[in-house]
Amino acid sequence: MNISIRMIGIATTVFWVFLLAFAFSAVYSVKDVQFHFGEPQVGVNADNQLYFSLPISLANRGFYNIGHFNVTSRILDVNGSEIAHGSTFVRVINKGEEVTAFHNMTLDISDLLQRSQFYLFNDSDLTVREWVGLWLAEVIPVQASTNFTLPWGAPLYNFSVGQTTVSFYNVTHSRIAVPIGFENHALFDVVGAFQINVYNGDMLNGEGRTDVAVLQHNRYDGLAEVYVRNSPAVTTSGRVEIYFSSSVFNYGPWVIPYG
Amino acid sequence: MADGNTESGSRTRKIMFNALKATVKAVIFYVVYFFVSGFLAPISEFLPGFQQMIEAFVIVYIVLMIIGDLTSGTILQHFFNAAKALFVIGYLILSLKGGLFGMTYENVSLLIDLRLFVVVALLLSLLGLAKSVLQAINYMSQKAEPRFI
Repeated sequence: MNISIRMIGIATTVFWVFLLAFAFSAVYSVKDVQFHFGEPQVGVNADNQLYFSLPISLANRGFYNIGHFNVTSRILDVNGSEIAHGSTFVRVINKGEEVTAFHNMTLDISDLLQRSQFYLFNDSDLTVREWVGLWLAEVIPVQASTNFTLPWGAPLYNFSVGQTTVSFYNVTHSRIAVPIGFENHALFDVVGAFQINVYNGDMLNGEGRTDVAVLQHNRYDGLAEVYVRNSPAVTTSGRVEIYFSSSVFNYGPWVIPYG
Repeated sequence: MADGNTESGSRTRKIMFNALKATVKAVIFYVVYFFVSGFLAPISEFLPGFQQMIEAFVIVYIVLMIIGDLTSGTILQHFFNAAKALFVIGYLILSLKGGLFGMTYENVSLLIDLRLFVVVALLLSLLGLAKSVLQAINYMSQKAEPRFI
């Protein structure tokens, strides 16, 4: 019995030493794991969605491999509903290895505007929930999470439609002009066109198109013009319907009576 | 009379040896802790009570270890060894809170899942407790064996 007890004691001691050495060295090697976040890229992709790409470099100079490296982001609107989601996963980062992963997220602006027009005309703050997880030495799961706000810039901030004016252009046509102004606070350039339709009752009397290209953080002030045939029914009263269309989003109509 | 002096001298030598063994083991244990605490210093910056928690464990463990060594050769040694193993089990369960370690630093929440480590540590502690129980049984059975002169 003495021998078996002694063997149990030796085995227990060996396992304790191994366990403690492993645990401390695994935790201690965290200081040799280096994260580096590159310059984020923001733009509009081929599907006309707003994309966000963040390069994440992870240099594992610790004693053990790192497993299940995972970055997850959720962007929530002011009501707390998810509007975008992105996840990046790297199965294993071997010791001494440096890995660069791109954390990509896409935001469908049309989808966002369908939820609420608020984001088209008003700046706001979106909530970003971020999770970073990894398995130290591929056996100890560690997860860090944080919340922060992301400023949302409205593409048609302070949108205004001025007084519609009707003026005679020549003997056959009159010109209907609608002053339009807005500021582009968005992360992308607003490149599109205002489509203007002039109605009298249900009858379409004229239509026109005005192209706009407004860079980020710039203001647009312009006139949308339509030429219509000279007719008392058209020039005295009616309504103008304005539509905006771009590769990223569409909106309309704004209905403005005149006369 | 001569046998009495010899027995008394032998007992003194045994006590001295036990005390020396306890001192050496305590010093070795403390030296190991001293080196390991240097590695744990960065963790203490994020966990305010971590250093005190480890110190409390080391103090109680060393005290139980010294008492166990001083009472070596008696049944009390096995009681203290069992107490030491139970203390480790209790300490692991209470201090590691089931193995899920959470802390918040400014706006960042950190969660460390040490459940696997805790399970292995508890199993090893149970093995230590089993060893103490077996030693106590072995001690008592040896005491109970009849001596033939």
